[in-house]
Amino acid sequence: MKMVAMAYGFIWLAVFVYVALVSRRLARLNGEMDEARRRIDQLKS
Amino acid sequence: MATMSTQPQTSATRFLATCAVTAALFILACKAIIDAPQEVTMGFVQKIFYFHVPCAWLLMLSTLVCAGGSVSYLFGGSERGDRVATCASELGVLFGLCVLVSGPLWAKAAWGVYWQWEARLTSSLLLWLMLVAYVLARRYGGSSARQLAAALALFAAIDIPLVYFSVRFFRSIHPNNTVVATLVPGMRGAFWLSLLAFTFLWTVLFSARLSAENAHSRLIDLEMLIDQAEEKKS
Repeated sequence: MKMVAMAYGFIWLAVFVYVALVSRRLARLNGEMDEARRRIDQLKS
Repeated sequence: MATMSTQPQTSATRFLATCAVTAALFILACKAIIDAPQEVTMGFVQKIFYFHVPCAWLLMLSTLVCAGGSVSYLFGGSERGDRVATCASELGVLFGLCVLVSGPLWAKAAWGVYWQWEARLTSSLLLWLMLVAYVLARRYGGSSARQLAAALALFAAIDIPLVYFSVRFFRSIHPNNTVVATLVPGMRGAFWLSLLAFTFLWTVLFSARLSAENAHSRLIDLEMLIDQAEEKKS
């Protein structure tokens, strides 16, 4: 029972950590895109 | 301005929707695993099998996709192939780690030891280490390491037949590849449902990761154009 819980727990934890890392990367990318848009707007004006 | 405010919301909604679909599939798989009959010899610990084998399948799938992308980059100069390989390698490391942790936990209960230096376990560890090397080379090696990493992915792909057939060609205490065909109906349904759920999870993670990689690539091009335009303007 303990080994099964540890194995399943680790797999879920690893997947959630990866999802968190990818979503953090996406958030950073959105920030960089906002910055690029701001620079384009400055060029237009 | 409206597009600037709605775009993060759309991304968040899409992310939550994909999480919900994946969670639903896993709830069904977990119910099937709980309902599946216990294996006679190993008992309850055999239930690790339902997550361990799908993770091993995804390790191999990730390696194959990584190698495919690397081939198109090395021999066709495809930047998209390179991005596909990068994303697949990360998933290979993730699911390889799951295999290498869940396997020894099962082994401790079934064999009495966490690890044996036998063909299946050793070749799987080697495969995972090659994917780790790929990820490290891409992350810290700069642009000059791209070709080296791609070549490494081809070596990793060569290791797949060794991993798969190792239990047939070498003396091994690891269960052989025909174990799925010998499962009783209750176990078989739970196994295939779990395999489907994990494959769906892989597709969702891969799509999300590839979208981010494609967007990052486009952003770099856009920033170069903005730099040029700003230089001209000044």
